[in-house]
Amino acid sequence: MIGKEIYKIYAPLGAKWTEWIRPVPFIAIDTYNRKSISTWVDRKVMFLKQYEPDTAIFIDLPGKESIELGIALAPMGYRPIPIFNGTDEQKGSKPTTDTYLVESSLITGSQKLKNIHLENNANPVFLLDSYRINRYRATKSMFDNSWDLYGQDIPSAEYFIENGIKKIIVIGTKIQRDLKKIFAKFQEIGIKFYLTDGYLPATRVILKKFEKEEL
Amino acid sequence: MKLIRIPEDKYYDYRINAMFDCYKWDPQFYDSNTLAKYVLVLTREENERIVKITENLDIETRLAEEYLNKNIKIAEKLSLPKEIIKQIPNMQNYDKYKNIRLMRYDFHPSIDNNWVVTEVNSDVPGGFAESSLLPDLARKTINSPNLKYNSFGERMVEAINNKLNKKGTIMLIHCTCFSDDRQVMQFIGDRLQKEGYKVIYGAADHIEFKDRQAYCILDNNQHKIDLIFRFTPLEWLIKMRPKTWYGYFNTTTKSCNHPIGIYAQSKRFPFVWDDLEDAGISMKTWRSMLPETIEVKDASKREGFIYKPVYGRVGEKIAIQEACRGDEYKKILQDVKKHQKQYIAQKNFNSKPIKSDDGMEYHICLGSYTIEGNHSGYYARISPYPRIDSYAADLPVLIEN
Repeated sequence: MIGKEIYKIYAPLGAKWTEWIRPVPFIAIDTYNRKSISTWVDRKVMFLKQYEPDTAIFIDLPGKESIELGIALAPMGYRPIPIFNGTDEQKGSKPTTDTYLVESSLITGSQKLKNIHLENNANPVFLLDSYRINRYRATKSMFDNSWDLYGQDIPSAEYFIENGIKKIIVIGTKIQRDLKKIFAKFQEIGIKFYLTDGYLPATRVILKKFEKEEL
Repeated sequence: MKLIRIPEDKYYDYRINAMFDCYKWDPQFYDSNTLAKYVLVLTREENERIVKITENLDIETRLAEEYLNKNIKIAEKLSLPKEIIKQIPNMQNYDKYKNIRLMRYDFHPSIDNNWVVTEVNSDVPGGFAESSLLPDLARKTINSPNLKYNSFGERMVEAINNKLNKKGTIMLIHCTCFSDDRQVMQFIGDRLQKEGYKVIYGAADHIEFKDRQAYCILDNNQHKIDLIFRFTPLEWLIKMRPKTWYGYFNTTTKSCNHPIGIYAQSKRFPFVWDDLEDAGISMKTWRSMLPETIEVKDASKREGFIYKPVYGRVGEKIAIQEACRGDEYKKILQDVKKHQKQYIAQKNFNSKPIKSDDGMEYHICLGSYTIEGNHSGYYARISPYPRIDSYAADLPVLIEN
């Protein structure tokens, strides 16, 4: 049972924001006997000079890169919060989304993270896999394990504001459709959004309001 | 009935163990922790009473659905989706002895010290692991080994063994993009694998039907299916394109649940009770347990009614003013006005909050399962307000010995 121990490294007792860490990929580490990866890249934080107390970060890069950059932000003071929520495919079938790399990278990431001191109230850097929304099935016999992020999977906008977050930086090529839907509501109550590819400084983005809202 | 607090210093491990050992993969919903810090303990008498009511309700419900399946005109009063009404002729080969019938009845304590039943989850009830593994974790955590529970999982495995005799392939049909669906399936799948079955996880369109027999079409998993265990609601299934879902209605492959479950899933179920009783089917238990339920159009002249969607799930879109957030109540009322047939009006009952041993008060929904007519465990949730919805927290149920 190593998934549970790895989960505890990301979600230590008393650390803020960790309630939102999804257990799904950590459970799969045990179910599918995942091993740490040998291709881990220690990344350098280029887009941000220092910890900003009013800022939370969402990394929306391919899973492995997302975890690598999330761990790179930890020494600066940000706590990595993995919110990967994709399940593994039926054995033998072809998946739409690769969860293996995420699960393995979380193991390697935990080995780095356990040696980094983080304050209990450190601001979060949420980790996402940008491939999550690959819903295309070339044939009907493929297993669709794509997933969207929903509002319920992260803290509410009010929670962010009550906890001093006024600004969210998204790292990715764009703000993907599921995030747009959630963040448009965040913007309405005053949170500002910035986008960066992870290298250049983040620039302000204004999100369009979603006209049709489901009850 | 009492609520016992899980000691604060044990809760962190309890929550993690619930996730890793009890398939609780969705422990958070927005800012709400969905794993309660309490355990519900029923007295033996309370348990016996609920078991009796549950099994009586189940007798009535199963007789009702068999009758409705043979009487389309009456079934039409349930506002079933048109696509499903068209399939009723194809369900005439339904054999109750062949399929496995699973339901969950939602009980709520009321201020007059009675129980109220607000609905039956007749199509695809969930909460399997919470009612099978969480009680054991809870009793270990609060160090109360003498408290007992009825494991849903074990009752379900017994029911499946009775039909399949530990041989064959079971396909667990769910929405594969949702981990909260997969957690339900994974629990039952892992347990069935231990029993010796081949288990396949897949979506509704991963089954094709040839001569009414189900076959899996997933890559490297092309198999004849011996049991379809479905967790995809019928209202979603019929939106599947291309329309390969017809086969679910007339398949000869054993199912749990067969689409026959749709009749009682409609919140308009009470609107056919007079017809059922005219046909000699008593609805006595249902009439004594369910709050008065009327058409939306008739509720405007009366006070004290709430609105519920005909095919609502997990408490969503229920218009209870004091339990709605922000402008939700206003929005639901607008929707009710616009789509009157898609809602029912139900007399609001006064839910009795239960006081915990640390002085807090919570409203409770106690789901009581039946499998093949027999009570098969509990799935409970608590909420600080009288609507039990997605923000509510899962609560293990134990019974005094």
